[in-house]
Amino acid sequence: MWRYILRRIVYLAPVFIGISFFVFFMLHMTPGDPAKMILGDTATEENVQLLRAEMGLNDPFLVQYWRYIKNAVRGDIGKSYITKSSVAREVSQAFPATVKLALFSITIAIFVGVPLGIISAIRQYSLLDNIAMGFALIGISMPVFWLGLLLILFFCVKLGWFPASGFDTLKQMILPAVTLSTPSLAIISRISRSSMLEVIRQDYIRTARAKGQAELRVIWDHALGNALIPIVTIVGLQFGGLLEGAVVTEAVFAVPGIGSLLVEAIKTRDYPMVLGGVLFIGIVFSLVNLAVDVLYAYIDPRIKAQYQSP
Amino acid sequence: MKKTLSLWVILVVVLTAGCAFAQGDTLTVAMAADSKSLDPHAAPDLASTSVMTQMMESLVTIDAKGEIAPLLAESFEKLDELNYKFVLRKGVKFHNGEEMKAGDVKFTFTRAVNTGKVIDYVVRNIDVDNIKIIDDYTIVVPSKTPDSSFLACLSHYCAGVILSEKAVNEAGENVGTQPVGTGPYKFVNWQKGNRVVLERFDDYWGEKAKTPNLVFRAITEGTNRCIELETGGADVALSLLPIDVNRVAENSKLSLIRVPAPSVMYLGMNVSEEPLSDIRVRQAISLAIDNRAIVKIAFKGVGLAARGPVPPTIKYYDASLPEILPDVDKAKALMEEAGYKDGFKTELWCRDDKSYIDTATIIQAQLKKIGIDVSIQVMEWGAFLEKLKQREQKLYLQAWNSVIADPDYSLFGVFHSSQKLTGLNRGVYGNPEVDKLLDEGKLVTDGPEREAIYLKLQRLIVDDAAWGFLHVNELLIGMQKNVRGFIFDPSGNHKYYQVSFD
Repeated sequence: MWRYILRRIVYLAPVFIGISFFVFFMLHMTPGDPAKMILGDTATEENVQLLRAEMGLNDPFLVQYWRYIKNAVRGDIGKSYITKSSVAREVSQAFPATVKLALFSITIAIFVGVPLGIISAIRQYSLLDNIAMGFALIGISMPVFWLGLLLILFFCVKLGWFPASGFDTLKQMILPAVTLSTPSLAIISRISRSSMLEVIRQDYIRTARAKGQAELRVIWDHALGNALIPIVTIVGLQFGGLLEGAVVTEAVFAVPGIGSLLVEAIKTRDYPMVLGGVLFIGIVFSLVNLAVDVLYAYIDPRIKAQYQSP
Repeated sequence: MKKTLSLWVILVVVLTAGCAFAQGDTLTVAMAADSKSLDPHAAPDLASTSVMTQMMESLVTIDAKGEIAPLLAESFEKLDELNYKFVLRKGVKFHNGEEMKAGDVKFTFTRAVNTGKVIDYVVRNIDVDNIKIIDDYTIVVPSKTPDSSFLACLSHYCAGVILSEKAVNEAGENVGTQPVGTGPYKFVNWQKGNRVVLERFDDYWGEKAKTPNLVFRAITEGTNRCIELETGGADVALSLLPIDVNRVAENSKLSLIRVPAPSVMYLGMNVSEEPLSDIRVRQAISLAIDNRAIVKIAFKGVGLAARGPVPPTIKYYDASLPEILPDVDKAKALMEEAGYKDGFKTELWCRDDKSYIDTATIIQAQLKKIGIDVSIQVMEWGAFLEKLKQREQKLYLQAWNSVIADPDYSLFGVFHSSQKLTGLNRGVYGNPEVDKLLDEGKLVTDGPEREAIYLKLQRLIVDDAAWGFLHVNELLIGMQKNVRGFIFDPSGNHKYYQVSFD
């Protein structure tokens, strides 16, 4: 098992090289000159050219990329073009807010979504099922920024329950977390429902009921245990998606996280900052995937057995 | 399962527990963007300077009448065409406890010129090699060439401020996050992307700040800034959106400040190519456009229809310029005269901003009436600037903001023919008479003679139809009714140190 985890971690290296190359390539394909963005509209062409040379922007693309990788391997992922401070520091300052937001959201999505899905499955075609799945459909279809604005209008302006922006107090975190969790909640509840539906039709569930097992035990142990693999998979994927969705949610609620950092960096062509932010999201995404794969082994003895046999 | 569950709950509670900020004697200002850096030589953008301006001061300033007035310099004197003598105020303390002396002034200007590429457009004329320190409180600062706007440049809200030599050297690479100035507020902390916190500087040389704490919050979403104001989360909200204006105006707890911005939005035309090189075609375009419709629809009635290239709040603005009213028949006649009876096809570039796209769409419809078939290309800001640099534009939408309050700044860069290839003159416009007057305007000192030059220039440029003059925006600021003593600044760098609450 440990060997497997270790191997997976080693495999992360090529993934990072892939991500960084792709992002680097995209940035260089995008029109817009970082030197011009730094110096602003009023700069003389002479100064722009001087700065380009100073920043090494006139070198061929591969030379620049190689320089970046060489420094990155030594642990230096560069300095922001705009703020001049180290990208690692800026990213690590923005990181807690995003992680809090994502964790808070996935918690809501799991603890509301999974039970909702299970109940809908047990009471298939009931009124509750229809309402829940109806809401799930709306939840998936609704753009996050729009939902965020609606929630602000209702809960901040009309009711005055929560502040409209910021991310310092628990009260400020509730609306962004609810907003961000909604699409995930919807997907998780739908997957939970379909996965449960598949399982509760199995023979062993009938057997469990036949031997007089309490209904709650039948659902919790026999059914949920077997329905869990697809649910865990989707939760893992959603967590990655949350980091992405955070980009929009953070802008709406003025959360000082990776998302806000990235949006600003892209607008100002702050290449090192964009790379740093995307690499960070890439790392978290890969690690969450790894965690999900490891979780499989704990949930399903059959998978665990695979790791143990050589 | 139970264990994991409770662990999870603990984890979430621990992670989300934060600390609230004391509300007491705090003024909270909601801005549209976070500061980029608090090093005045590295970040001349409004989000940075509006914070720095509370903490840092320049030798001279521009007073309410638009005249140069002393600030850190007790008095100043123009010795000859190039040399300016400043007598510094005694006993001015930096936030680190050091006293401000002539050495700091020399150090700051030298640093500004040598490292401040981003503020080069302001400080490029300071002759730092020949700065003479006479004693600790007297210094002579020369300009490289005679320049009537030299003192205005030294009053600049970030390029002109004086830094502490000791503090800058101690901070090393971290000047941008450890600002030290002489202003009424001093720096406390900065949470990137979120807030900058300042507190009153008790050793300030002048009148002390009235409110002990000053917080700048970055809220990028415009509507959200307005909501924070409505719900009391912010005391002052800057850069409100036109769509939110009525909500603030109708709210009895809030007040609204509307002031014309020192900027002009225009339809740029590349005059280096047919058919836009023909003045009759440009005049026809001007006459086909109804800029009042643009103000009403694209800007929801906020702002004014522009009449010329100089913003109305800048000195020597020609208030007698006539309103530009649409006249489609005359425009058609001009097109026919120019040999474009059946019109032509062209492109209009604009940035990806809602009001710009709306403006472009209105122009497209209006130009169709005189047979010009416009295709709109919307671009992201960075890409837009890059494309403009190639000078392949035909029509383009842009606004020019006079961040230095002088008509020279409003006109020189965008109309002088020396700026055709690499500068801001993106319409590749050139008129020898305009060039000559622009050069003269730089040298003549303020007064009736200089005024005449700029009045003439405005007429010339309007007659040439070098731009389509569209819209003068408004600065929209909302604040709680109980906020007193807000000092408005046309450049957007408002001052908060006189603010108190009723």
